[in-house]
Amino acid sequence: MTFYDKFLIISLVIISVIFIISPLANILVEGNNLDDQVIIIQAGDGSRQKIPLADTYREEPVIIKVAGPIGVSIIEAHNGRVRLKEAPPEDPEKICEKTGWIDRVGPMIICVPNQISIWIEAKESELDGVSW
Amino acid sequence: MIRTRKTVVIGLLVAMGLILHFVESMIPMTAIVPGAKLGLANIVSLLGLVLFGFQGGFQILALRILLGALLAGTFMTINFYLSIAGGLISFISMFLAYRFFQDKFSLVGISVVGAAFHNLGQIIVAYFIIANPGIFYYLPYLVLLAVPTGISVGLVTYFTLRYLPGAVISIN
Repeated sequence: MTFYDKFLIISLVIISVIFIISPLANILVEGNNLDDQVIIIQAGDGSRQKIPLADTYREEPVIIKVAGPIGVSIIEAHNGRVRLKEAPPEDPEKICEKTGWIDRVGPMIICVPNQISIWIEAKESELDGVSW
Repeated sequence: MIRTRKTVVIGLLVAMGLILHFVESMIPMTAIVPGAKLGLANIVSLLGLVLFGFQGGFQILALRILLGALLAGTFMTINFYLSIAGGLISFISMFLAYRFFQDKFSLVGISVVGAAFHNLGQIIVAYFIIANPGIFYYLPYLVLLAVPTGISVGLVTYFTLRYLPGAVISIN
């Protein structure tokens, strides 16, 4: 073991410890913001509204009105879930209303007559790990 | 004669590397930090580098990774890409360290460099696979673990070299 060996080893240890501690300290200071999913509401003209799921944890539900070809749909987001609360009366089947709440990545609320789709998307890749 | 002897020694080192690779997979290092490995197979790459220089060491490394992947059935899978990326970047960094800083670093230091770069290469490839920059938060844990394993690999290589008969050493 030469002097440079020891220098290399000690500096590697120090650097890695710093990089381990600094993100942890960040989490302690700023709180865990891993909950970074967004609700995406897409209207018939392709325009999108994004609402962070974290913003729906309030006493009052978030109400969004989206106008489509047959009327105005009322969308409600509350406590980390979202539903299409009220389809316009012209909607014959009201399938989107019957879909109910969705609270995770995967399911989707689709309203064909009013051309609205609602889903939850993760900001980061959905893969959370690979083992090797 | 020397060529034959060299071929035989390279073959032996590849075989030992394969066995070390499988012995290593039996030791549950993943319980401590997932993805962490002892890097025992690095012993033969380093030995090859010291005994035969870049070319011989590279042959040993490439053959070891290829045959290891074929034997374990991970050829052309994510494991294989991670293994080849880590192996290549680690070998090249060890070669550069050995070539240019031989007077400064002993085998222990060179092995630590190799272990740290092995992790770096794997994390970079893992980033391209899972496309999540969060994976880089993982690097310091791996590097921290790479230091003791690198030291042990370097020491093993050093003592193996001292133990080897002169006939093997004088091949190159």
